[in-house]
Amino acid sequence: MPIFSDLPTIMTKQRLLHGQQWLTAFTTAIGRGSAWLALLLVLGMVLVVVLRYGFDIGNIALQESLTYLHGSLFMLAIAYTLAEDEHVRVDVLYQRFRPRGRAWVNLLGTLFLLLPVCAAIFWLSLDYVASSWREQEGSANGGLPFVYWLKTLLLILPALLTVQAIAELLRHGLTLLGATPPPRVSEHDTHPEEGL
Amino acid sequence: MEWLPLLMFVAVCLVLLTGYPVAFALGGTALLFAAGGILTGTFSPSDLTFVPNRLFGIIENSTLMAVPLFVFMGVMLEKSRVAEKLLSSMGQLFGPLPGGMGLAIILVGALLAASTGIVGATVVTMGLLSLPTMLRQGYQPQLSTGLICATGTLGQIIPPSIALVLLGDVLANAYQDAQLKQGLWSLDTVSVGDLFVGALIPGLILVGLYLLYVVAISLLKPQWAPAFEVADGQARSWRSLLGGLLPPLLLIAAVLGSILSGKATPTEAAGVGAFGALLLAAANRHLNLAILGEVVRATSRVTAMVFMILIGASLFSLVFRGFGGEEAVHNLFSAMPGGVLGATVMVMLLIFLLGFILDFIEITFVVVPIVAPVLLGMGLDPIWLGVMIALNLQTSFLTPPFGFALFYLRGVAPPEVKTAHIYQGVIPFIAIQLIMLGILALFPELATWLPHTLYG
Repeated sequence: MPIFSDLPTIMTKQRLLHGQQWLTAFTTAIGRGSAWLALLLVLGMVLVVVLRYGFDIGNIALQESLTYLHGSLFMLAIAYTLAEDEHVRVDVLYQRFRPRGRAWVNLLGTLFLLLPVCAAIFWLSLDYVASSWREQEGSANGGLPFVYWLKTLLLILPALLTVQAIAELLRHGLTLLGATPPPRVSEHDTHPEEGL
Repeated sequence: MEWLPLLMFVAVCLVLLTGYPVAFALGGTALLFAAGGILTGTFSPSDLTFVPNRLFGIIENSTLMAVPLFVFMGVMLEKSRVAEKLLSSMGQLFGPLPGGMGLAIILVGALLAASTGIVGATVVTMGLLSLPTMLRQGYQPQLSTGLICATGTLGQIIPPSIALVLLGDVLANAYQDAQLKQGLWSLDTVSVGDLFVGALIPGLILVGLYLLYVVAISLLKPQWAPAFEVADGQARSWRSLLGGLLPPLLLIAAVLGSILSGKATPTEAAGVGAFGALLLAAANRHLNLAILGEVVRATSRVTAMVFMILIGASLFSLVFRGFGGEEAVHNLFSAMPGGVLGATVMVMLLIFLLGFILDFIEITFVVVPIVAPVLLGMGLDPIWLGVMIALNLQTSFLTPPFGFALFYLRGVAPPEVKTAHIYQGVIPFIAIQLIMLGILALFPELATWLPHTLYG
């Protein structure tokens, strides 16, 4: 098949590398931005505690806004965490694999494990989210009226994760074709100790 | 089709061993099995319709909100060098005594564990800060490395710990399931707070046993743990000592106290702790926009990692149930000789072995939801079971050749420390852990008395 063997020419590889960087930059930008929700969550929690124990005021809308912050914090960061290669692995064997072996694991894993997870979460949640939008579903406890937005995270997660999964396919596929994708610009390398 | 869920469990273990990220491996393998099951008519697609509801339940779960808050607190304390100060002031206080540095390590480790609850962070921090000094001052490499690894794992068991938050949430659901199955209607509940309180006494006894061991060594083998020579210039200055010790102590006291008093939920206490860490960092002049950015990003990545595993594990457990996995596990346990005792021993052994390849989070989300309802249905106390699981996993993380703590320390230990030193060094501490497990098995009141007294 001539078309197939012509595909990985230098030009195409360059373009694919470029695309890989673009996709990664996209999920990373979202993750780095949404990370600041963690600070808001801390401050909001302190506010709740002060109001409740200091002034005996319990505000449902305020409490629910913390749920929105918390949910968005991790749902928007999952793809970014993949871009930084920080989803925990069982590395008993993995750490002994050569770079090509690791690339194979990641390529096949992305195709047969990660992408099906994205597709399943998206399709299974579609009706659930859509009906919440139709009803303009609000809080069951008289809090914030934006539950349909919160539920939309169930679609945003697989969408973002798919974007990063494609970037990972390109990265590991190109590695196997002999190209050298740029190393991950990860903050993690300076402090490998995070994780439980 | 009794064997299908078990096959699924074995398959996921094999997939995990390839090293592909755990969260996606769990969810992906489950979906592949579900697809195969739908094609062969052994799995009903309607079981998957619960997926969005389950996932939204994770988003809405306010107990789990404690996770990003505690992570924030731990990362903030680490980045703002509070831990460093703590260790150096403890070293000044105890260093000049024989075995003193060993005691300092244990006490600091326990405090760090209480404040961060992150095994890797504690082991790495102490390995970098104290191991070179200990070796220079003539501490036996085995003893030094064993001490650091063992104290690092205390973060699992000493509250407030992220591990106990996750375990508490899972056990709460399992306990409800178990009671509903027995046809009980007025349900007892177990909460993360109960588990924190229950783990307190066993955790302190464990620290006490570690301390006793070091004292014994300094009496029997003084050459293994010599007194530090302190240059006169840096002799103890009480002010710097208090400055290093007091703030983190107050922070931990505030967090634990508010939970123990039964007033604040662990989530609220975590929020206060995170804010306190922020203030401490500011007081230490270690807070600026760059550091704050690193802290929030590290927090978001660790949180994302934890919750993605939870999402993957939810997919796994839905499919596992769809294949009738619960009955399979139940039948397996009922067939065990020795009733409750036999089943408990088997589960503990299984968790210990899985602890070699899986982290606390995976075991909590995948294994505990499968086995806990059955064990609790046999009448075990949920608090006791939770503390036993936590202790057991802590031991597993310490056990060569696969213990996580050993890897973390190996990564930062100077090259003259051989891997064999680390392996030999942890053996006495593993023995202590096993003794502690034995004590808790014989006297469950150690875990259950305090929560029952406090909360009734």
